[in-house]
Amino acid sequence: MDIARSGWRTAASLPMAGRVGLFFVLLWLAIALFGPSLAPHDVGAVVSPDVFAPLSAAYPLGTDYLGRDMLSRILYAGRFTIGLALVAALAASVTGTTLALIAATAGGWVDEVTSRLMDAFISIPSKMLALVMVAAFGSSVGLLILTAALSYTPGAFRIARSLAVNVKTLEYVQAARARGERLAYIAGVEILPNMVNPMLADFGLRFVFVVLLLSGMSFLGLGVQPPDADLGSLVRENIGGLFEGAPAVVMPAIAIATLTVSVNLLIDALSGRATRASES
Amino acid sequence: MSEEKNLFLDPAGQRRLVDALARGASRRDVLRLMLSMGIMASAAGGLLAFATEAHAQTPRRGGRIRAALGSISTADTLDPAKGSNGTDYTRHNMLYSGLTQLDGSLAPQLALAEEIRNDKATVWTFKLRKGVTFHDGSPLTPADVVYSLNRHKDAATGSKVKTVADQLAEVKASGPDEVQVRLAAANADLPVILAATHFLIVKDGTRDFSTAANGTGPYKLKEFTPGVRTVGTRNPNYWKPGRPYLDEVELIGIQDEPARMNALLSGDVQMAIQVDPRSVGRVRSTPGYAVLETKSGLYTDLVMRQDAAPTNNPDFVLAMKYLIDREQAKNAVFRGFAVVANDQPIPPSHRYYFAGLPQRPYDVDKAKFHLKKANVSGSMPVVASAAANGSIEMGVLMQQSAQKAGINLPVNRVPADGYWSNHWMKHPLFFGNINPRPSADQLFTQFFKSDAPWNECGWKNPQFDQLVLAARAEPDDAKRKQLYGDMQVLIHEKCGLGIPVFISFLEGYSTKVKGLGSIPIGGFMGFMFAEHVWLDG
Amino acid sequence: MAEKALAARLILHRVGLGVLTLLIVSAVIFTITNLLPGDAAQEALGQSATAETVAALRAQYGLDKPAPVRYASWLSGLATGNLGQSFTASMPVRDLIATRLPKSLLLAAVTAAVSVPIALAMGILAAMWRGGALDRVLSLATISMVAVPEFLVATIAVLVFAVKLRWFPALSNAVDIRDAGQFVRTYAMPVLTLCFVVIAQMARMTRAAVIDQLGASYVEMAVLKGAKPARVALRHALPNAIGPIANAVALSLSYLLGGVVIVETIFNYPGLASLMVDAVTNRDMPVVQACAMIFCFAYLLLVLAADLVAILSNPRLRHR
Repeated sequence: MDIARSGWRTAASLPMAGRVGLFFVLLWLAIALFGPSLAPHDVGAVVSPDVFAPLSAAYPLGTDYLGRDMLSRILYAGRFTIGLALVAALAASVTGTTLALIAATAGGWVDEVTSRLMDAFISIPSKMLALVMVAAFGSSVGLLILTAALSYTPGAFRIARSLAVNVKTLEYVQAARARGERLAYIAGVEILPNMVNPMLADFGLRFVFVVLLLSGMSFLGLGVQPPDADLGSLVRENIGGLFEGAPAVVMPAIAIATLTVSVNLLIDALSGRATRASES
Repeated sequence: MSEEKNLFLDPAGQRRLVDALARGASRRDVLRLMLSMGIMASAAGGLLAFATEAHAQTPRRGGRIRAALGSISTADTLDPAKGSNGTDYTRHNMLYSGLTQLDGSLAPQLALAEEIRNDKATVWTFKLRKGVTFHDGSPLTPADVVYSLNRHKDAATGSKVKTVADQLAEVKASGPDEVQVRLAAANADLPVILAATHFLIVKDGTRDFSTAANGTGPYKLKEFTPGVRTVGTRNPNYWKPGRPYLDEVELIGIQDEPARMNALLSGDVQMAIQVDPRSVGRVRSTPGYAVLETKSGLYTDLVMRQDAAPTNNPDFVLAMKYLIDREQAKNAVFRGFAVVANDQPIPPSHRYYFAGLPQRPYDVDKAKFHLKKANVSGSMPVVASAAANGSIEMGVLMQQSAQKAGINLPVNRVPADGYWSNHWMKHPLFFGNINPRPSADQLFTQFFKSDAPWNECGWKNPQFDQLVLAARAEPDDAKRKQLYGDMQVLIHEKCGLGIPVFISFLEGYSTKVKGLGSIPIGGFMGFMFAEHVWLDG
Repeated sequence: MAEKALAARLILHRVGLGVLTLLIVSAVIFTITNLLPGDAAQEALGQSATAETVAALRAQYGLDKPAPVRYASWLSGLATGNLGQSFTASMPVRDLIATRLPKSLLLAAVTAAVSVPIALAMGILAAMWRGGALDRVLSLATISMVAVPEFLVATIAVLVFAVKLRWFPALSNAVDIRDAGQFVRTYAMPVLTLCFVVIAQMARMTRAAVIDQLGASYVEMAVLKGAKPARVALRHALPNAIGPIANAVALSLSYLLGGVVIVETIFNYPGLASLMVDAVTNRDMPVVQACAMIFCFAYLLLVLAADLVAILSNPRLRHR
């Protein structure tokens, strides 16, 4: 009850943009959880002989390049996109931040080795890594998450480490070290809270990057198995309808945009609150 | 495109007719002109048709076009023996010529060979055309032909047609401009086989194909950057008089189909291959552009391996064949640019097509019945890839039909690269893709005989094998057609593959490009467009 | 003086570690690509492969030797500057790369020249007036730019500017550029598409880092002393925020060499990213390895520059 009440209070205190972001995030979460059961048609059912049909009563978001209902396909795709991106981005941010804290506080050769390993992985282009991983190990959801996480952990690490190193030089951290506090304490209590804001912003970006990696992979012909799709591959497979402005390509693009923008609006608002709270 | 027509007019008279038309003369005026020249009324009509066609089609010399093909990579090669995709074939046809060439009905025409004789279809003698020169000025000699044919047999060449070339037991010069080929076994199709781009003639002794191409083809190589572009300039000494018409042809590859269409419609390229069926409407409705559809024998087939369970169960195979909704494949996947097929590989346009085979319908109930008989239920993954045209879409659609019959067919999409080496023929249930072949014998020998290297489903039917050999040696064409008909029935009934449709080739082009016709062995006029097309003013 | 010595030590340190990183990358790439099914010989022969022809081609490529042997011989070749021979193109890898590397660098440089100033400006402005309308608009703009899939931006751009308006060519083959006007027309759309992708990370990180600094006590001091917001942001907060900003810029720029395969494919731009994807498809190992080395080297260079900038700008870090 307390959590609910404090959650409600947090929500109510957000600025307008934050509330809009929260609304859409909750909407997308609902779609991720209940979308497939609300879909009027099966994800792969060919319902119409017309491809790239415009909005209509029978097919509220038109039909795709094979004549399948776009509304149903988007509802199913939402789950894949959100699930994959959320898990992968969380994994990347958490792993990256943890490794960065360890490296920054431990210093010395731990820092060097970790940084070199991370550098090695960053310099491998993510689409290339995805191409090779999928070609070598197949296209399961687990592998896609792993690939996305592998691609974006080093980036999170790098940014987190640079933040941590910066914070490490501030007075109260120096003071803690002088006091002889343990590394874990310094990492968790002194450094981490000061990194939360930028890292939260970074998480929002990681989330977007994973969504984009998935759509970039669909360009290379990789991704979840058909007839399933994620929002990016929906855009890709229906790109032929772009010229006539078919809903089949416009709707998934708008879906991606609302999803990513709302996540970041929410994060901005939350981190804004945190900043103001720490200032007062 | 044959230019020989039976005319009653001398060249001067012909010119008068064409000039009259160019000046805007009406049909009546021209008919009066012809009658005044002493031509009988009955012949005049046919002449008029020819003259009209000649006026409309008088090729114009000059100009430069850029053609966009589909695939381009650093594997692009100037070596005909290594050609592996349409871009390679187009490039090779620009630079080299062969002993024979295919025409619009896939029949072999004489090219570098001006006469072909054979003894029991086993010993073939090719009399070479005189006065043909390579781009470097040296004359075409039998030694060049012998070298070109024999090099395929050497494993070090890495030729794609080594197994075919192994049939050429002996190739030698038999005269100052004659080459003799002795085959290991009789084969009436040798002229057709030699029309393949792999057998294009190169200069004797050429080993290095990395930067230069010395051939007898319509264009000389001006620039070759693998993975980027190829540019050819007109060969002034080409052995076909008056050809080619264009000054320069540039070949590039645009892998992304929307990008290829945009390049065409923005004027960046004048010709684009492999138009997606859904883009046809857009191209056709843009003024100044057109789409050419060529019906062909290209197909993507559902293969059920006969050496694995349950795909080797004849009831399962029949069930799968009944689950193919061919009309849906034709309309939803190919938007009508396909011809419904009947689980056998000879298209209706082929001269040996057997029309009497009843069309197998789409029948979910029959499929259910056969599945129950085969005692198969549950899940059976189908391997598909973008490497096999439309296989992913057809797989997805079949999955829907299969659900109604009580079986689950999840589609396992694998990357296009490496499909042919790693997945094709390596799973119980998968999609294959077969390009059109000019001869039925070639198709059956390479893909359907028990010992064929690419026997996709691995079936072994001794009766079929006998029929292939019998037809190959059969001199009477009517009897040959009957034998091929029997083979089609056998494949339809017993072979482990389902062929839903025959896919048409679609290319987009600017209407300024003239002379683009159809040679159904591949897109862009069987990859031979460069010597046929010209640019309008 | 102390900074120069520190910088020099850092560079030397980094060179040594850079070699280590390059080695790690080469080992990782080699291992992963060896896990790929099939090899160059099979790819070259495709549908027409038979056991005999594949074996012959394999011997020619040296693929019949075991993996560690191949890796070792490649490494020793690398040490002498010999990048090996490409399997599919039958030409030295060095020549193949020499045709593509300058083009990739050019595209990356132009994109950087356009995107970095814009991103920095957006980030700083948003931070200076944080919470205000400008901040919200800029944040929305950056996130929206990143949200659209790259191929969609590219295709829309081509539809509008090439097909409908005919201002720019649909392809950026970059082969016959004669004057500045043609250069702009050829590069406009690829650069535009890439900017959409890279500006966001740089702008947002700039904003976040500057805002973070703006919350520090010395900034409060400056504000209390009566300094204007612009002065505070630029003179006090920004120098301390340069570290993370430089890092974000380095990361984004390193993407521009190897991550642009979609733009290169759609605009037919002959760069390194599509060369590497091509090579993976054809299992052309020497080319894949060489490209991976180049991307890694470029990244290390950029990151070194970023760290140097960070150290030289942050007074506290100078005395480590």
